[in-house]
Amino acid sequence: MKFVDEFRDAELGRALAGEILTLVEPGRHYKLMEVCGGHTHSIYKYGVDDLLPANVELVHGPGCPVCVIPMGRVDDGIAVAHQEGVIFTCFGDMMRVPGSNGSLLEAKAQGADIRMVYSPLDALRIAKQNPDREVVFFAIGFETTAPSTALTLKRARADGVPNFTVMCSHVTIVPPLRALLESPDLRLDGFVGPGHVSTVVGARPFEFIPADYGKPIVVAGFEPLDILQAVAMILRQIKEGRCEVENQYKRVVPYEGNLRALEVMSEVFELRPHFEWRGLGFISHSGLKLSEAYADLDAERRFSVPGVRVADPKACQCGEVLKGVIKPFECKVFGTACTPERPIGTCMVSSEGACAAYYNYGRFAREREVV
Amino acid sequence: MTVLRVDASRGLALCEAEDGERSSVETALVEPVGPGDRLLVHAGTAIASLEPVQVPA
Repeated sequence: MKFVDEFRDAELGRALAGEILTLVEPGRHYKLMEVCGGHTHSIYKYGVDDLLPANVELVHGPGCPVCVIPMGRVDDGIAVAHQEGVIFTCFGDMMRVPGSNGSLLEAKAQGADIRMVYSPLDALRIAKQNPDREVVFFAIGFETTAPSTALTLKRARADGVPNFTVMCSHVTIVPPLRALLESPDLRLDGFVGPGHVSTVVGARPFEFIPADYGKPIVVAGFEPLDILQAVAMILRQIKEGRCEVENQYKRVVPYEGNLRALEVMSEVFELRPHFEWRGLGFISHSGLKLSEAYADLDAERRFSVPGVRVADPKACQCGEVLKGVIKPFECKVFGTACTPERPIGTCMVSSEGACAAYYNYGRFAREREVV
Repeated sequence: MTVLRVDASRGLALCEAEDGERSSVETALVEPVGPGDRLLVHAGTAIASLEPVQVPA
C-alpha cells in the first residue's frame, strides 16, 4: 500500500532500533513525550516501545481531541440536544464521553435526536434536509479538524442555511504544551511533535520549545518507522548537544503549514480568553469560538447553555494520564471499573486515548505483570 | 484517500479510501486536485496532498 507499507518494514525498523541504541548514554534515563493520541495508538499497536532501549521512556501527551473535553462541556451538549426541535450532531467517539449525568449516547436513548456524523459537512447536509429543525454540530478537535468546521461554516453562510449552528469546542495545541513545560510534575527530555496538527499549523509554532525550554521536538508521522526515526532524531539532537525543531514528516508537513487553512480559521474563529481542559484545568487562549462575523451561527448564542463547571469523578485519573504523570495502568480504575465498554474517563473512550490504546493492545496484562 | 472525480464548481471531490469506502471531500485547502491525486483527509476535508516519498534510510 503506497505511503504505508514502506513505513512498516520490519528490517528497516530493526536497523533504526540498532541506531537508537548507539545514541543513548548508558545510565541516563530519557523521557520523551508523544504529543498526539494518534502516535500513542501506533506505538502500542505496532509495539514500537518494545524496540526501544529500557532507558528510553515514551510518555503520552494531551493530544487526544475527545480526551480533553471536560464533563461540563458534555453536559452543555446534552442540554442543547434536549431542546425542542434540535437535531444534535457529533463525531462517534464524542457520543460515549461521560458527562456528569450520562453521555450523549444515553441522552439519545432517552429520546434526544442525536446523530453521529463523520464530518461537519454531513451535519450541514442534515440541516438542508430538515429545514424545520435546528441542527447543531458539536465541533471538537485540534487544528487538524478546525479547518473542516471553518469551511463548513463558510459553506452554510454561502448556501444560506439558517437552521445550522456550531457548538465550538475546538482547542489549540501550543498552550497545553506550554502548560506542561511549566508543570513541576514532569521532567521531559524531548517531544515527538503532532504530525497532522502540524500539517495545518506547520512546525514553526513549536519553535518556543527549544527556544524557551531547551528541549528538542521532532514533528513525526504515524507509521512505526516514522516514530522510530523521530525518536532517533531527538536522541541524536541530545547526543550532539543540539536543540531545535526538526520535521521528520516532510512528505506531508510543510514547515509553514497549510496557509489556506490558517487563513480560513482566522476568519471564522477567534481565541477564547480561557478554556477548560479535562485534567489540565483552565488554560488561557487555548480554545476557539466563532468570530463576531459568524456569531449568528454560534449555537451557544442561539440556545441556552448551562456552562456549569463539573469536577471529574474522584476515581478517574485522566488528568494525570493526559499530563504524562502516570501510565494508564497506574490509574486506580484502569481495566476494572473503567473499560472501553463502560468508560469512566475520556482516555478510555477514544481510539486516540492512551488508556484505550493500552487496553486494546494488551498492555493491561503485560504491565500488570511488571507491577 | 484517492480522488476519483472532481466537482470544481462546488469545491468537492469524490474520493475513495484504501478499504474502498467512498465519500465527498472538501478540497478548498488543497486545490487544484485531479483524479488519481492522493489526499490526507480529516473530518471530510483534505488538509494536504500526498507526494511520492523516499523511505527513511
